[in-house]
Amino acid sequence: MITIEQLGKTFQTARGTQHTAIRDISLQVPEGQFVSILGPSGCGKSTLLYIVGGFELATTGSVQVNGRVVNAPGPDRGPVFQEYALFPWKNVLSNVAYGLREQGVPKAQAEEKAMYWLDKVKLKDYAHFYPRELSGGMRQRAAIARTLAYEPAILLMDEPFGALDAHTRLKLQAGLLGLWEQLKNTVLFVTHGVEEAVYLSDRVVVLSGTPGTVREVVDINLPRPRIRADLLRNPRYQEYVIHLENLLIAEAAA
Amino acid sequence: MSDDKARRAGPRWYEHSALAFLAAVWLLGLVWAALSAYMGFNSFPGPIAAIKELPTIVFDPNAVWAIAQSVGRMFAGYAWALLFAIPLGLAMGRSQAVYDIFYPLVSLAYPMPKAALMPILMLWFGLGSFSKILVIAMGVSLPVLFHSYQGACRIEKKLVWTAQAMGMGPVKRLFRIVLPAALPEILIGCQVGVVMALIVMVSSEMIARQEGVGNLLFTSMDMAQYASVYAVILVLAVLGFLLDWLFERVRRFLTRWSDSNNGASLR
Repeated sequence: MITIEQLGKTFQTARGTQHTAIRDISLQVPEGQFVSILGPSGCGKSTLLYIVGGFELATTGSVQVNGRVVNAPGPDRGPVFQEYALFPWKNVLSNVAYGLREQGVPKAQAEEKAMYWLDKVKLKDYAHFYPRELSGGMRQRAAIARTLAYEPAILLMDEPFGALDAHTRLKLQAGLLGLWEQLKNTVLFVTHGVEEAVYLSDRVVVLSGTPGTVREVVDINLPRPRIRADLLRNPRYQEYVIHLENLLIAEAAA
Repeated sequence: MSDDKARRAGPRWYEHSALAFLAAVWLLGLVWAALSAYMGFNSFPGPIAAIKELPTIVFDPNAVWAIAQSVGRMFAGYAWALLFAIPLGLAMGRSQAVYDIFYPLVSLAYPMPKAALMPILMLWFGLGSFSKILVIAMGVSLPVLFHSYQGACRIEKKLVWTAQAMGMGPVKRLFRIVLPAALPEILIGCQVGVVMALIVMVSSEMIARQEGVGNLLFTSMDMAQYASVYAVILVLAVLGFLLDWLFERVRRFLTRWSDSNNGASLR
């Protein structure tokens, strides 16, 4: 359970002025729920995620995970970034085994487990490649495997498919959904893609404005497992998409 | 059409690096020979005379010993420099407090010619190897420190975050994440440092003349054996070239994973 209470973050800009990225955000994410944070760029949705991750500190309010206040990163919250952030000097296998090795798992065992996760993201044949030798989609699959490998209870995904082409993005969304429907981690997923948010999530939190505040929370009542081709024909899916689309458009016009 | 042309042309003769290198050496030798012949000083022998003199140095155990001693000190100074400058540079790049403490010291030391410190070091530590190793280490430290600092500053912060999320503490991160991530930049500093080490090594021995290549050079000079002087300079030039070439290989190997490495080792 993630409890976010009246969270706010104010930056000091390079010019010395104050910039408030998010303000007064309260949110509860129950265990095992897939929650998307949807909003236009610049609404502070990544900032919110970084604070939950403990990478940045809040100015006001607090984040609690299972009743404990978050003020530093920890292996219970695994990040996946848009930029992949794979360790470029390590091959794919060592990248995926890295978190386990860091947790004190012996090398052979860590690599065995890493291979299991590489198999899950269909990268087994690329275990000994360096990140720079992989395509964007493959890099992100490796990064997801690396985070899943040390089994964080919570996944923090920061526009993970934002840098990929449309086709690769659809493939990775389906892949992630397939994995998650087995694992059922708690997921906070930052995105600006409406369809992506509806397709993946149990709940969509719409952030708006500068500073970002919660504009609306939409529960997505669509059966799982979800198959995108079926959803596209589903009137309820279409309504969710249109509703959220309208919210974002209204926001852009305001 | 243009495709066909490109295929036919291939690399030009001067685009083969070995050939281009030989051409450059040949040209340099030619200019040297011409100047020496034109001026006609007996203190300025031509390349042929210098090369003829080479065997008397290369096969003279005393001269070889002098060179070996110099190179030994050079590597000692170099190693000490890397040992201190790399961690300090990385720490300065990652911690504002460390930066604030050390930056004034570094910026004071940067423009100072290291050889100018030799007399003081000689007073403190004597004429022996220690003061020479120290001055070499100081000369090498600065480029290594600077590039390590630059490398640490430019690290993608999400690499660091990822390691933090795995539970890695700050000291371990410095060596396991910041060091490898900054390695391409650090190694550029180290490569500049090799040449710097050679320069400071020779100049330190010219000031504290007891042994080594610098001493060999000046002794030949005192005895008006000008061909020997030039032969020693040739030896130094070859040494510097070889070290740099070797280092380039090592650097490419160590950063074969990096995007910025345009070596073809992995393709």
